[in-house]
Amino acid sequence: MSSSDDDTLPGIPNVGKADLDTMVENERPDPREELADVEADTDLGVAMAEDAQRVARGELSGDDYWDRYDEAAADEFGEAYHETPNPAVDAGDQTISTETAESLSCAVGSMDTVSTEPAQVEGDDSGNGIGTGDQKWGMVIDLQKCVGCDSCTVACKSENRTPPGVSYNVVMEEEHGEFPNVTRTNVPRPCMQCDNPPCVQVCPVSATYKMDDGVVNIDYDRCIGCRYCIIACPYGARYFDFGENYDDEVDEAGELTSPEYGVDRGTREDGKSPIGNVRKCSFCTHRLERGEEPACVETCIGDARNMGDLDDPDSEVAQMADSSRAFQLKEAEGTDPNVYYLK
Amino acid sequence: MATQGSQFDFAPGFENTRLRIAWYAFISLLLAGGAYATYLRLTQGMASTNLTSIVPWGAWVAFYIYFVGLSAGAFLVSTLANVFEIGEMHRIDRDALFAAIISMAVALLFVWIDLGRMDRMYFPFIWRQLTSALSWEVHAYVAYIGILVTELYFSMRIDLARLANRLDGVRGKLYGLLALGRLDTGDPSQAFDQRWLKRVGIVGIPLAIFMVHGGTGVLFAVSKARPYWNSGLFPVIFIISALLSGTALVMVLYVLRTRLFDGESVDLDLLEQLAQLLMGFIIIDAALTAVEALIAFSSVHPHEVDTWLVVMFGEMSWSFWWFMIGFSWVFPMVMLTRRSWRRTPWVMVVAGLTAVIGIVAVRFNIVIPAQIIPVMEGLPHGSYFPTPVEWGTSIGIVGVGLLLYTVGAEVLPLTPFSEGDHE
Ligand code: SF4
Ligand code: SF4
Repeated sequence: MSSSDDDTLPGIPNVGKADLDTMVENERPDPREELADVEADTDLGVAMAEDAQRVARGELSGDDYWDRYDEAAADEFGEAYHETPNPAVDAGDQTISTETAESLSCAVGSMDTVSTEPAQVEGDDSGNGIGTGDQKWGMVIDLQKCVGCDSCTVACKSENRTPPGVSYNVVMEEEHGEFPNVTRTNVPRPCMQCDNPPCVQVCPVSATYKMDDGVVNIDYDRCIGCRYCIIACPYGARYFDFGENYDDEVDEAGELTSPEYGVDRGTREDGKSPIGNVRKCSFCTHRLERGEEPACVETCIGDARNMGDLDDPDSEVAQMADSSRAFQLKEAEGTDPNVYYLK
Repeated sequence: MATQGSQFDFAPGFENTRLRIAWYAFISLLLAGGAYATYLRLTQGMASTNLTSIVPWGAWVAFYIYFVGLSAGAFLVSTLANVFEIGEMHRIDRDALFAAIISMAVALLFVWIDLGRMDRMYFPFIWRQLTSALSWEVHAYVAYIGILVTELYFSMRIDLARLANRLDGVRGKLYGLLALGRLDTGDPSQAFDQRWLKRVGIVGIPLAIFMVHGGTGVLFAVSKARPYWNSGLFPVIFIISALLSGTALVMVLYVLRTRLFDGESVDLDLLEQLAQLLMGFIIIDAALTAVEALIAFSSVHPHEVDTWLVVMFGEMSWSFWWFMIGFSWVFPMVMLTRRSWRRTPWVMVVAGLTAVIGIVAVRFNIVIPAQIIPVMEGLPHGSYFPTPVEWGTSIGIVGVGLLLYTVGAEVLPLTPFSEGDHE
């Protein structure tokens, strides 16, 4: 198709490409102004940025770029630079030659390795481990907004890398009434992180327990796999890990695992926890600790799921949980879930 | 046996050598099959079962509570002699105690093989949870086994001492060791044994009733999420059906061991007493179960009613009608009705065996149906039938129990040397 600006397609508003480019240009902040706000050398920053664009356009090679700037950047940023991963060094598709990569003074490995490091080691404030925050995590799910697409279930599976037969989140679909007056409700069901959790009550070895931030943890290194907690959970939220894998569907399915409850367990192997243990939704504790929302909340296409601190009366979730639309599943059980629903 | 002559001969084992060979061959078959199934279980992990996250407890748990019940029942029968001093019952108290010990060992093997992480089986002794019935149970089982072994020791010590004094060589030493060196056979030492037998038995009764078997019932009854179990009557029925199976087992063992090992004739009065006891337990068990079902149906609680419908008309309803109602109640009851049948050893062996087998179905019908109906509408229904690996390992574990019992019965003086020792 010819790309003249004046080509009009039926039903598509005619926006000149040149206009769009101007819009972008107008929005673009002035580099010098931006860099003036930071301590680092403005000239160096502008030069690096301009050359980076040339690399992108293919006018300059990555190797030349880093030859030119490695030393200057090291001088400028000192210790911080030595500890920073270099975006050009990457396991699969690195954009510079190995020689250059090795000569760099910022050699802490690729971006990849850093981003998959467990949340636990992040920051120096060790001592307050996982789950010690003083908030009380709660989730509010608006059933009017849920369309039953199961995106949350899928997002959860890929975030937590759960094996076949283990699904921390499911969307229960219920039909009520008789034709033609039928209504259908979709009820997503994560673990409720109950305030009075029967699963915790029954565990003979205290492998599952409530953390300060309200999340119910499972210590995979202690769980003996007796499955009493599955029996006790009134919400069917717990799953036994039978050791199955998606090996037929995905190559190297067990290579990556999720740092659930802040513990990195490396690759998935037979006889190694959490195989033979009971598993369940952790409200994505590892993400919460990084300041991210749980994968299901982030992915929800209807924005039906909300995450926040129930102890903070001003938080959105606390207000929603207080509204007259709010209810909990199986309130009569006395479990007092920290997952609320809006009818 | 029980000779006191100079040519002392103690041979408590099989009278008939051919029968002995056949019996050990049979046990070897069970063990070989069990070993192969266990190998598969160990290498394939829990995936070798038909368990799922919806039905996480299956055959192994059912067998586990079955053998705990068998043990508690047999022990309580033994207290009829040791605590309540019903004279004739003394004849069977060692049988009952020994069977109770073996049953507990078998029950614990079932718990072990059921763990997702078998290598962590000692964890419950390192970490505990005060609110967990299971945590308490594990400790109660250990205490209970201690009581059983102590009871058997005090019941049998005098005969072990007699054997140690009369036999030479390795055998004499062995019995001396089993008597823990207390080789005095005089009256004061016997009175001492009797006293302690009674004392330990008195401690054991509440332990067996409330902690061991009642507690195992509580394990299920505390599950509020499963209304079918969540009833106060539940642990009581647990104990009654335990007594039922325990009495039946002791009756079978008494007849078989007297005939096949001791080559003596069965004491028909004792047999009738056991038979009447069994009859009583069958009536109470059936009545309480009927009450439980009635309460369930009149509660109109959907989960509870649905579960009972699964039990009575579901896929596995044959196990309810044939085994639970038929084998554990109706068939033995019919055989127990006539006095002349109650005094016919082989009829009572058959009646006892059907009850012992029938209660297995009772245990399956406790564990599995409550997991078939989902805990929340919208979650999938469960379905479960054990895999060959689950059956195979179960048979193997039962084989281990049979082997231990037989070896014990061939070596230990389970039949008291002279009548009236207890008086
Ligand atoms: S929903 Fe179930 S698993 Fe989650 S805290 Fe409550 S009882 Fe435990
Ligand atoms: S399966 Fe694990 S977490 Fe669950 S009750 Fe047993 S030991 Fe505790």
